[in-house]
Amino acid sequence: MTSGANTLVLPIVLPLLGAFLLPLVARFGDGLARALGIVLVVVNIFLGWTLWSAVGTEAAVTALGGFEAPLGIVLYGDRLAALFVAVLAVGALIFWPRAEHGGVKAYTLTLLLVAGGSGLVLSGDLFNIFVFYEIVAVASYGLAASSGDKAGFGAALRYLVLGALGSSLVLIGIGLVYAAAGTLNLADIARLAPEKLSGTTGLAAFLLLVLGFGVKAELFPVNTWVPEVYAAAPMRVTAILAGVVSKLAMVVILRLLVLVFHDPAAISLLMAVAIVTIVAGEFAAYRASDLNRTFAYSSIAQLGLVALALTIPATAGILAAIAVALHHAVVKPAFFVIAAKWRGPLAGLAGGARVAPAAAGLFVLLALSIIGIPPLPGFWAKLVLLGGAFDAGGAYAFAAAVVLAATVVEAAYLFRVVARIWQPAAGAKPAHFAFSDLSPALLLGVILIVATLFVAPIGTALSGAAASAADAGSYVARVLPGRM
Amino acid sequence: MHGYGRTTASLLFLAGLVVMLYALFQALPFGAAPMQVGQEIVSRAPGETGAANIVTAILLGYRGFDTLGEVTILFVAATAAGLILSGAGAGDLPKAPGGFILKAAADLLFPFLVVLGAYIILHGHLTPGGGFQGGAIMAAAFFIPLLASPTSPLNHSTAALVEGFAGTAFIVIGLASLMWGEAFLTPFLGKGTLGDLFSAGSLPLLYLAIGLKVGSELAGLMARIVEVGGKS
Amino acid sequence: MSPDALLVAEYLGRALYGGAILLIAIGIYAMVARYNLMRVLLGLALVESGVNLFLVAIGFRPEAAAPIIVGGVTDVPMVDPLPQALVLTAIVIGVGVLALAAALLIRVKETYGTLDTREVAKFLAAEPADAAPAAGTAVAGTPARETVNAGSAS
Repeated sequence: MTSGANTLVLPIVLPLLGAFLLPLVARFGDGLARALGIVLVVVNIFLGWTLWSAVGTEAAVTALGGFEAPLGIVLYGDRLAALFVAVLAVGALIFWPRAEHGGVKAYTLTLLLVAGGSGLVLSGDLFNIFVFYEIVAVASYGLAASSGDKAGFGAALRYLVLGALGSSLVLIGIGLVYAAAGTLNLADIARLAPEKLSGTTGLAAFLLLVLGFGVKAELFPVNTWVPEVYAAAPMRVTAILAGVVSKLAMVVILRLLVLVFHDPAAISLLMAVAIVTIVAGEFAAYRASDLNRTFAYSSIAQLGLVALALTIPATAGILAAIAVALHHAVVKPAFFVIAAKWRGPLAGLAGGARVAPAAAGLFVLLALSIIGIPPLPGFWAKLVLLGGAFDAGGAYAFAAAVVLAATVVEAAYLFRVVARIWQPAAGAKPAHFAFSDLSPALLLGVILIVATLFVAPIGTALSGAAASAADAGSYVARVLPGRM
Repeated sequence: MHGYGRTTASLLFLAGLVVMLYALFQALPFGAAPMQVGQEIVSRAPGETGAANIVTAILLGYRGFDTLGEVTILFVAATAAGLILSGAGAGDLPKAPGGFILKAAADLLFPFLVVLGAYIILHGHLTPGGGFQGGAIMAAAFFIPLLASPTSPLNHSTAALVEGFAGTAFIVIGLASLMWGEAFLTPFLGKGTLGDLFSAGSLPLLYLAIGLKVGSELAGLMARIVEVGGKS
Repeated sequence: MSPDALLVAEYLGRALYGGAILLIAIGIYAMVARYNLMRVLLGLALVESGVNLFLVAIGFRPEAAAPIIVGGVTDVPMVDPLPQALVLTAIVIGVGVLALAAALLIRVKETYGTLDTREVAKFLAAEPADAAPAAGTAVAGTPARETVNAGSAS
């Protein structure tokens, strides 16, 4: 073990340390607490970037407490983990909470969200993943209610009840895995899975884990909280939850699929869930009557796409999942920035292009990308997904057809809004955007355009990350060098 | 969505879940779980950590990182509850004092509860119990007087101070090993003799930090709910 | 292992697993059968207890001692200590989540004046159109619904 691997723990414990200290620092002024929080998030971006450049195809592994796997807990830092550590921190930086929505307590919760999310993607232990999942979950329940909006409390409580029930399912799933395999280390479970988890017990455990983690990953049928919470939470919280946190749960499902559950039945189960999620999400988005709910349901559909991508075998599927997830992480928060100002029924948006041309233009750009019009990044993400699906053939071809049909629905409801924005205003005009209101979305728009220019190198980098994430053999060999 | 359809659907789901769990649990070998990792830990823990209580060796040694997460979850919940309740009406209901028996008992119990809590925290590596259990008892020591005389509120600022320093101490103890080139949370200090109070290296220090943090967090959390809860 | 111990293990196993399932079932029933949020939370607590019982039961083995070394004797058979450690963690997590739920419950009651899940659901499903015309005119962020005293104090 090199001393470099020991720093794997830093993206988790530094924000944690900061969160513990923040209430004390706030005695010297809220501004100082805010500054410390932002500094720590920036440090996490740097740590994620360092990890990305330090690990090539060989992931960094550290056995916490010096207790070797599978007895102790290991952290496994490959490029996939590094990527999401950085993306989470960037999301938290752009959408750092406003002082009026909870103040220092909201900063603390955001730091905890960053710490928990980093732990979620770095941990190589099933129960440890559950613990970090709970940190992320509890922090998001609190943030969801931080707007002071009347609907916030009810939405957060219903979210909490569903989430806690999901966590209980995860725990039963972990119990089943432990009862069958006698270990919690992911690599060790991977080693024993073909022998111990191939039967009904394994399938049931997978079902329970997917249902539990699916609450955060917005999978059908445990996603009923999504429109309520996204409508009631502060825009910045919605942006982080929809943009990044949902993908972290997907990373967990990805690890489970790659390492433990290769059973065809498990794969078809996830595929069915994904297809229902896509269809239900897009149709609900089509029927939604305001922008915020439209984007909430569209977010569900996009995560269905990620889940569908995960079922496609080998590197192609994981590459598609990462591509769709990253693209969505850029586009959807920007959409929510626009929706935060343009509330109310869609009919009220008429005249928007005249009042706020920048927002309207950005909306068109984002819509084109999410639908998948070349040369925007969304096109490449969908292309990789569809290409992988058609190559795999069989049921995947049907899934690809569903994706194409869903894209048509998506285009219909997004262009309906675009047409509305360009209509002349009738009655009250939509809200005007101050530059500071729109700046996070503009920043994301710039990122989107830059990504368009550098699609080829980004694609190569992501392929590398996907290839190493798909390599279960190397995961087991890195974590359990002596036990192969 | 509401009405009979929902109830029937839920009951059907419930029945399905029960049947599934029954079938699953029936298939599990009770009393003969593989115990792969468990057996190895049982045989290695005394030598590797010096703790006589093997559950403690796991909680603070082998799975110490889980425990850090666990402490964090209480902290997250307390912070979130504070955020949610900070705008609430400050309990308009007249707060009835606890009466003579509760008041007298609270005063009497306070020193005993503190001592018992401290004892359980400090012996966590030897006997059943530890930072969480002892911390909960400590919290009770500070919470019972609050029930007895609701008008004298808990000093949240002190609680936050203890909480912050205890949490920081846990992480600093963990990070200390990083400086010697070891992994996060690697135990240090001498292991001592198995079964002695001063044994198991840095594990009792961790439990002390946990005990203080859990105690101040739970007391603060419950006090907050009492402070606003009078109203509803 | 004696035949008696095996028999005990079998009955105990049925009782513990059965009890866990029963607790989970009662908990979920309590969550769905009535429309009261307090009952939902109590049901949730029952479900969590059931799950914890299941977890701790996994580690059982017949004729084994508690995993604490007494008097330096290390070669007695012990039950699996790992599930016990997991359950401790799970219990604490459950406490944290329930405490937060209680805090939210207080605010829900204060804000809507009811704990009926149907009323709360109705409020949440209400179209923003009911509350405000077109886009908000003044306050950024939350024009659609009336904003109660926001939790901005620290």
